[in-house]
Amino acid sequence: MLDLTNAALRYGKHLALSGVGISIANNETVVVLGANGAGKSSLLKVLAGLVRPEPGADLTFEGKAVLGRPAHDFPELGIALVPEGRGIFGDLTVAENLQLGAHPPHARPHEKRQRDLVLDLFPRLAERQSQIARTMSGGEQQMVAIGRALMSCPKLLMLDEPSLGLAPIVTSELFLALGRISATGIAMLVVEQNVKASLAIAQRGYLMEAGRITGAGTAETLRADPAVQRAFLGAVA
Amino acid sequence: MLFSAILTGLVLGGTYALIAMGLTLQYGVARIMNLAYGDLIIAGSFGAMLLFTAAGINPLLALFIVVPSGFALSWLIYALMLQPLARRSPNRDRLEGDSILATFGLLFVIQGVALVLFGANYQSYSFLAVPIDVFGTTIAANRLLAFALAVLFGTGLWLLLTRTRFGTVIRAVAANPGSAPLVGINVDHVARLAFALGGGLAAAGGVVVSMYLTFSATMGVVFTMKALIVVIMGGVGNLLGALAAGLILGVVETLVSSFIDPGLTLAATYLIFLAVLVVRPQGLFGKPAR
Ligand SMILES: Nc1ncnc2c1ncn2[C@@H]1O[C@H](COP(=O)(O)OP(=O)(O)OP(=O)(O)O)[C@@H](O)[C@H]1O
Ligand SMILES: [Mg+2]
Repeated sequence: MLDLTNAALRYGKHLALSGVGISIANNETVVVLGANGAGKSSLLKVLAGLVRPEPGADLTFEGKAVLGRPAHDFPELGIALVPEGRGIFGDLTVAENLQLGAHPPHARPHEKRQRDLVLDLFPRLAERQSQIARTMSGGEQQMVAIGRALMSCPKLLMLDEPSLGLAPIVTSELFLALGRISATGIAMLVVEQNVKASLAIAQRGYLMEAGRITGAGTAETLRADPAVQRAFLGAVA
Repeated sequence: MLFSAILTGLVLGGTYALIAMGLTLQYGVARIMNLAYGDLIIAGSFGAMLLFTAAGINPLLALFIVVPSGFALSWLIYALMLQPLARRSPNRDRLEGDSILATFGLLFVIQGVALVLFGANYQSYSFLAVPIDVFGTTIAANRLLAFALAVLFGTGLWLLLTRTRFGTVIRAVAANPGSAPLVGINVDHVARLAFALGGGLAAAGGVVVSMYLTFSATMGVVFTMKALIVVIMGGVGNLLGALAAGLILGVVETLVSSFIDPGLTLAATYLIFLAVLVVRPQGLFGKPAR
């Protein structure tokens, strides 16, 4: 459903991405692994239309070339991003955050259905509808951010380090929820430091290093890959 | 005497709150510090006067012409002049600086047109200048009407912002413009509408002002200053804060001018402004900077 080829991205002189290509199929969950500064967030920003790669790149989503469209068009296309740091509307209530998630025109008619789905997924939000989002715990804020993204009826949900800063028990709840989202048929692209948990819900993964894709494979092969084990799973070489 | 001064002060304060709401909308959402704001108010006053004296149109009806005109004019100003600035600004701080310079120029354009058309003299017209008895003191009916209109517009704006979908979108952009595109909000578009809405409120303020105050082509800057003071006192983007700050300012100014010396009015204005800034730099109801 999504194909990115040959993406390079510069911040001034710094080359954050070079020659990056990835693809995601329908219903698939794909994980991107890489050290700090490898360019994972930059990749998601390209895919969400928030930054423009250098000329020569190509991005198609469901057969349409979408590169160069403004970022606010992407949710309407069906691409939703839960950014690093969550990016929720902190001064607004939980209910308002969710309502804003349904801003794209195609999502409006399904607002009620999606809200029921979100509240079923995160029952905690149901009791907190009128709470100001900023006053919630980190885990609850992450639920708001994911809930808001789901309100836009995405075909592809991208999450940038959703478990960052969360306690282990909250993290495992989060991955349970991600598994359930994936089961509804939404494709997911997940950037994670929590390699074990993310490989457990993913079918495939990419490895990134210094702005390049340095490896790719199914979740099982990556789990067994000595390089991955050394770098991320704490195995002693 | 005291009661009458307070009543007069509340009326004036209501007008201050009304004009501050438009400015806080323009600044809070579009991040445009509009130095020509007061001149749009004065343009609204002239519009109402012209419609009243030349066409016999009652200022209440004039609102239906002047307010949409203020909206449309501000929409155009944003689209033609400010949007290019917003597009090329690398960040919002830069936009703030650029917008101050651009609207400073605009101030002289609007003022110049008003000077050419109406001259530099003070203007007024007499509408509903009949005394009304309020708890034992009298006040002109036009002042009561001015207050009622401020309440009406203030309530309307508050309902728009808190009870409608579009209002939620406006608040989302004001609070977190960087996240707005993630839910498909076109920030440019919302900023333009908020700026135009602020212009409509400025024009409404102008009509209200013209009903009970004298005004002149060069007075815009006074209103810009007062609106700015009220916005900062009340906390940027805070409607209830603007209301409280506007009322306080109106009452204090009137008390000072009736009981101490009219020449000290502006001094008193700046004194409370300074006091608020020193004690609560985030404004009366503003949140401390995070
Ligand atoms: N706005 C920016 N301006 C300049 N450099 C940037 C900017 N954003 C990212 N970079 C640089 O680009 C590189 C890739 O950053 P990116 O945020 O994509 O990494 P990441 O893999 O997400 O890292 P982390 O795991 O720490 O989140 C880094 O070297 C970073 O310093
Ligand atoms: Mg990152």
